[in-house]
Amino acid sequence: METGLSSLLSISVDFENSHLFFPTIVSWIMAVLFVIVLATKVAPFLVAVKKGERSLPILGEPMDAWRFFGTLALIAAYFYLMAVVGNLFPYTGYGFLIVSIVFVLLMSLMYMHKWTKKSLIIVATNAVVAPSLVWLILAKLFAITLP
Amino acid sequence: MMVSKKVMTGVGSAALITTMAMGSSLAVAQELQGNVRVVIGSTSTGADTYQNSSFVVDELAEHLDINMKVDAVGANAAFRTLDRDPRGNTLMIFHDYAYLGHLYGVEGFSDIFEKYAIGPAVSINPGNAYLVPKDSPYENLEDIIAAAGEGETIRVAIQPGGVSEIGFSALKNAIAIEHPGQEDNLVAVNTGSQSDKNQQLFDDQVDVINGSVQANEQFTRLPEDDQKAMRFVWLTASEETIEQAPEDGLGETSREQLLEYVEPNVNVTMGDDESFTFDKEFFFLYNKDMDPAIVEQIDEALAEIYEEGEIQETLKDSFFIPNFMPSDEAEAHLKEKAERYASIIENIK
Amino acid sequence: MELLSLFDITFFLLVAFGTLVGIIFGAIPGMTATMAVAVCLPLTYALGLHNGLALLLGLYVGGISGGMVPAVLINIPGTPSSITTTFDGYPMAQKGEGEKALRICVIASVFGGLVSAAVLFLFAPLLADFSIKFSYVEKFLIILLALSVIASLSNSMLVGIFSGVIGVWLSLIGDYSTTDGGNGKTRLMFDFMEPYLFEGFSLLPVLIGIFGISTILLEAEKGIKSEVSGKSVKVSKDAGFSLSIFKGSLTNLTRSSFIGTFVGLLPGVGGSAASVLAYTQEKNLSRDSSQMGKGAPQGIMASESANNALTGGALIPLLSLGIPGDSTTAVLIGAFTLQGIQVGPLFIPENTETWYVMMTALVFANIVMFFLMFYAIKHIAKVVLVPKHILFPIIVMMCVVGAYAINYGIMFDVWTLLIFGVVGYLIQKVGLEVAPLIIGFILGSQAEVYFVKSLESAGTFTTFFTKSPIAVVLWLLILASVVFSVLMSRKNRAKQLQNIAS
Repeated sequence: METGLSSLLSISVDFENSHLFFPTIVSWIMAVLFVIVLATKVAPFLVAVKKGERSLPILGEPMDAWRFFGTLALIAAYFYLMAVVGNLFPYTGYGFLIVSIVFVLLMSLMYMHKWTKKSLIIVATNAVVAPSLVWLILAKLFAITLP
Repeated sequence: MMVSKKVMTGVGSAALITTMAMGSSLAVAQELQGNVRVVIGSTSTGADTYQNSSFVVDELAEHLDINMKVDAVGANAAFRTLDRDPRGNTLMIFHDYAYLGHLYGVEGFSDIFEKYAIGPAVSINPGNAYLVPKDSPYENLEDIIAAAGEGETIRVAIQPGGVSEIGFSALKNAIAIEHPGQEDNLVAVNTGSQSDKNQQLFDDQVDVINGSVQANEQFTRLPEDDQKAMRFVWLTASEETIEQAPEDGLGETSREQLLEYVEPNVNVTMGDDESFTFDKEFFFLYNKDMDPAIVEQIDEALAEIYEEGEIQETLKDSFFIPNFMPSDEAEAHLKEKAERYASIIENIK
Repeated sequence: MELLSLFDITFFLLVAFGTLVGIIFGAIPGMTATMAVAVCLPLTYALGLHNGLALLLGLYVGGISGGMVPAVLINIPGTPSSITTTFDGYPMAQKGEGEKALRICVIASVFGGLVSAAVLFLFAPLLADFSIKFSYVEKFLIILLALSVIASLSNSMLVGIFSGVIGVWLSLIGDYSTTDGGNGKTRLMFDFMEPYLFEGFSLLPVLIGIFGISTILLEAEKGIKSEVSGKSVKVSKDAGFSLSIFKGSLTNLTRSSFIGTFVGLLPGVGGSAASVLAYTQEKNLSRDSSQMGKGAPQGIMASESANNALTGGALIPLLSLGIPGDSTTAVLIGAFTLQGIQVGPLFIPENTETWYVMMTALVFANIVMFFLMFYAIKHIAKVVLVPKHILFPIIVMMCVVGAYAINYGIMFDVWTLLIFGVVGYLIQKVGLEVAPLIIGFILGSQAEVYFVKSLESAGTFTTFFTKSPIAVVLWLLILASVVFSVLMSRKNRAKQLQNIAS
């Protein structure tokens, strides 16, 4: 009995494949839990949706599509262009500086509900000052590599 | 067709930026210019690669009067960054792991001699060492080889795939030569950081650990009844290298004492009367398409810096051995070194 | 006294300056204490050993403390170890109690910092000998104990555990690193991802993506309605803060400080485990923990005292074994070697002067941190009054800087921000839980290494139970933690049913 148990618990981990050992266990646990969650939470929820008692997340909710997708697109463009422009001036941080100014300005404009002369000036000043300050302190003073 | 003003300005400024960028690159043609980033193969800013690199790069930046910056991005990211930049704004410094990783078949490593240009070698870290507990039955490395030859299992804690493993491989090879068929008695226990390796020794999970003079010297000075006490059995560096170390050695261990653990006092045979040694060397790696003028420029600058002699003092103060070799020489040397180790690794497969 | 001759005004000014810069670094999401120390390391060369250490220790203490600011005010942990501060700090800020929350943070921090400094001073060599009793098995169990918090942190235990497992799974993407003793092979991804994902996702970009970027996406979806993020800020002179909040919290503070010191002391067990463990223990052991997660001061106290206690703790193995207790102290080793000083088991007896200098710097840095923060808070807390259309772009920009700089300039880390911003958004939309997921992510890779290595060296699962008395004690703690969270969730469910019935 004792030997049976200890042989059951004994294990030898092959080093060549040890990178798969733990991930396999975790993947299985995750799969089992997923099935349980599906059965106990998701299924009843979908039934409720069908009956019209509850609505689907994201799809069934009101959304400011312009600001939401605008944010996503703007951030993606920001990250992409930063590297592209940065590549023109290697390791000076200009890519970050230039693209950030544009990004901060555009995002502020997109999020602002009422455009007044005063608020526009504030937004524009902020868009120039904030990135410049960050660039000066980090890239110049502390010599941190920026795109 | 109407072209909007916006597009025009866009195109215009893009063109302007490009001309500016091109213009500046034409002005000081084919030399290092602008900001230069030196990526290294380690992610630690406290470890030997970073220290060596920053000593050298600081001197170089001052000498060439340009901005240079060392970034500890790690091997994989460093190689990739270097791949993308043939302009000479990205350089890399790394040590023997660069080719050992490939020899051991570590994922993500390719043949550096094919894919990159080898730059000058700058220094050596002579500290790579093997240690046993102070109360170990093995007096020296000879005992260990003999014991393995008689069928005793000896467990060695190493970090797989690199500088830490090469000494182990050589030892295994030596056992195979002296006691054919017994080499499998030497077992690698794959561990990570120095603290994990030490811990394995404290726990009696291994008989020998890979370590370094710098990190383990104080442990060798503890009294024998301390669980943490260790002693050196082998430094892989060559005698010639250790002889260049400061006379005081490191901590309380003098150069003379260190020399006891180096060939020819410790002999790890490679067959044909040849003895294995391993110096952990730091060297530059370049993008293959980088302008040869830059290669020359850096070679010259470093030659002048080493001529002045100040950098040697800085390096030695931190227990590194200055070892300047211009690019060509370094490439031939490292190639030859890699071939030698390749045969060891091949032997024990 | 002879010792006094070691100090001059420069020394104290450097500590103060270091602390200030550290706080600023810590307060920027993504900039960490480690980075502050790494950036300033070259400066110490010119300063000499003692003054250099003054600067670096100031940076260390400041950097760890600064993390509380964004955690409380904008729900982004400034450093990974301030993650549990967001759980209660941000709800308080939303109620207009940001300033009060920050004051509690500061006091808890200085308490934790000083307790750990005292422990360091009095027991360093002793504790170092204790710490080497913790091998792979024991370290795995500590991680498991910290992971067991997931059960009690979540609203629905099932969903919480599921989220936690997803977090662990995500943390395993990439290579099984050779620096952890792995075989360096990649898993859980396709070949084409390898150039980017070789080392997996970095912790900090994931954190600020999930917390920062996803918050902005959620707000954008609603159309950035309200102009400012804090509903109302209490303008009373003391911001509703008085020392009486700490009444009855001495046990919590002391316990959390010791947990923090202890976790710091164990090399390889990351700092974020400290605040997570302290937070759970407070949740499990305090008389009334029903408000935790909704803006309870006791949660902040546990989290902040523990993460500042890390400082002293992590210095113990550094100074008495030559082994860094966390990533920041790993950089500090560089400072010592630069000056030709060896750290190891003989450091303290052989460098008594330096040792006293370090202790002084550590204590003084904590005091400086306290005064700098306590009086600056009033102004810092006004961040929530900045209109969102100004604040959000700046947050994104700072997140970019932090993510790019954390691994010394890797563009993929910036993209990680966006990926996990979207992931975080989806998670919250489909009803998964963020906190367990993040805790799973933080602890997952360490759990793997210690789990697999334990089995590799022992060859049997029984090792987890029979390895040592310490392992048995840890199992009892884990058991208690699990039983407690089951009871808690039962009680909550009963209460909910009661509410519905009435």
